[in-house]
Amino acid sequence: MERRSFLKGFGAAAACAIALPHVASAAEEKKSGGPNEMNFETAVAAITGGKALTPSAKVKMEAPEIAENGAVVPVKVTVDSPMSAKEYVKAIHILASKNGNVRCANIYLTPANGEAYFGTRIKLGGTQDVVAIAEMSDGTFLSAKQNVKVTIGGCG
Amino acid sequence: MKTLIKIKPKDYKAGDIVKIDFMAMHPMETGMRKNKDTGALIPAEYIDEVKFMFNDTLITKMVIWESLSVNPLMSISFKVPGAGTLKVIAKDNKGQSVETTSAINPKG
Repeated sequence: MERRSFLKGFGAAAACAIALPHVASAAEEKKSGGPNEMNFETAVAAITGGKALTPSAKVKMEAPEIAENGAVVPVKVTVDSPMSAKEYVKAIHILASKNGNVRCANIYLTPANGEAYFGTRIKLGGTQDVVAIAEMSDGTFLSAKQNVKVTIGGCG
Repeated sequence: MKTLIKIKPKDYKAGDIVKIDFMAMHPMETGMRKNKDTGALIPAEYIDEVKFMFNDTLITKMVIWESLSVNPLMSISFKVPGAGTLKVIAKDNKGQSVETTSAINPKG
């Protein structure tokens, strides 16, 4: 009997832990000095608000196929789109699908950019897909991804 | 925080699309690394926001996370409307903020 009640109690506690995941807003998360963590699905949902991602050849990503040093991986993203007041790329988001915090950079563009382009260097903890999401002015989300093989991880 | 703005190419006319490279000397600590001697976690310290302004109008706003490399580089395109001042404001998660300006002088 004792064992049974223990199991029951344990089961209930485990259910609670699953039912109440800690959801920190970006703002409160940034205040803490500790590591930020977010998995890929949550990060994508936060960007798209649940809308579907459409893989598109309009989003061009330049990243190395093999990075010897994961601490410095160059990534360039260009989106083939007009940059007029009516039709433009609102934002480019870069995600590293398997880093502890998958978010790298969210770039909010304006028609003044003339061209939807963002270039940077990122850290990758290991071999993984780097994903670029372009948020278009018509509310759609286009994406591109590239697998980068990392010889030495860049997060240690 | 030392910073640098580079505009490529050097010579451009009004209406040209140029690349603006912004670099900042910053450790970009993730908060996941441990001090090798004490084993204590090194607190996160990274640039979290960068704004590019031209004559005080926002061109591009960036929300940055710790996954960017040490001494991060951020590069964008900019269609030069005419002469003016480019200002880049970078801020880190510890509240440190720096403003860097560069003159935009189109030739012809």
